[in-house]
Amino acid sequence: MTLSKQTPVTRRMEATLNDESWKNWFQHYGPKLLLCARQWTRSYADAEDVVQEAFVRFWCHQRHLDGDPRALLITSIRRSAIDLARSNTRRTNREENTAAANEPYFEPAIGTDDRSLLIEAAIRRLPAPQREVLTLKIWGELTFEQIAEELAVPLNTAASRYRYALAALRNELSSAECHG
Amino acid sequence: MDKELQDLENELQALMPKQPTAQLTRRIEAELSPRQRIAWAWVALPLAAAVALLFAFYPEPTTPNRPAPNLVSAPVAEVTTPPVFKPVATQNLLYDAQDNGIVTLADGRKGRQVSRSYVDTVVWRDPQSRASLTWSVPRSEVRVTPISFQ
Repeated sequence: MTLSKQTPVTRRMEATLNDESWKNWFQHYGPKLLLCARQWTRSYADAEDVVQEAFVRFWCHQRHLDGDPRALLITSIRRSAIDLARSNTRRTNREENTAAANEPYFEPAIGTDDRSLLIEAAIRRLPAPQREVLTLKIWGELTFEQIAEELAVPLNTAASRYRYALAALRNELSSAECHG
Repeated sequence: MDKELQDLENELQALMPKQPTAQLTRRIEAELSPRQRIAWAWVALPLAAAVALLFAFYPEPTTPNRPAPNLVSAPVAEVTTPPVFKPVATQNLLYDAQDNGIVTLADGRKGRQVSRSYVDTVVWRDPQSRASLTWSVPRSEVRVTPISFQ
């Protein structure tokens, strides 16, 4: 994994990591990590499992390593998710998967519920590769370089998937507003 | 990127991802709590020491057929001689291994970091008294193997 240059965000994260309060750190970044995990898991419960595994590993063994902790954590989460997907021991039934798939991605926003629901529905309809890049960029706060490395795709592919995703969202939302 | 897409990007950034459940936080808390992280081997250590001491100082049971010891002729030095323990067995038990993924080394190279947890056990025995002492201690090992992508 290529570790990014020190940005103000990275420096702030590392400063936070120096104290022992994992709860503060997790409260801030946990929801974002969970949303990233949900791109690679079949259910909300599975996403929580892989975040737990990756976060404990990170906090115990990796938080003092150089580099961007977020990128490290997301790599770890993705690896855990792939391992989980390969495992046949954690199969859940179809009904549970359907219920889990309907778990909302976002906290309800006060006053703009309809709009955020529309956005979420549009995000869910995106092709998976575009949704993956969009999530890593917006909520994972990774650079295109880090995303390309994470997904093993060329930098231009990562950037173009992101642009396609935004364009598709804009079209969906415009269309929904016209018909709504 | 045009302004409309930038506005949309800002709108997306304003959306707050759903909070993890309280159960997830509790599970992480349980895993990270110091009590949980005390390796079970630390519990085994005093237990093993206690058992060893018991073997070392507990008198060997006498059998009915064995002749009664001649207390008069028993040399005093034999009782006061300190036991001489010698190591007779060792074991390294691997009980946890975690692949921590790829890390960047100080010189910029990449390496795969693997953490392993062992319990090292050494058994000592005094051939004279046949008393034994078992010594168990946990050991953590972190190995970084340099790798190259070709």
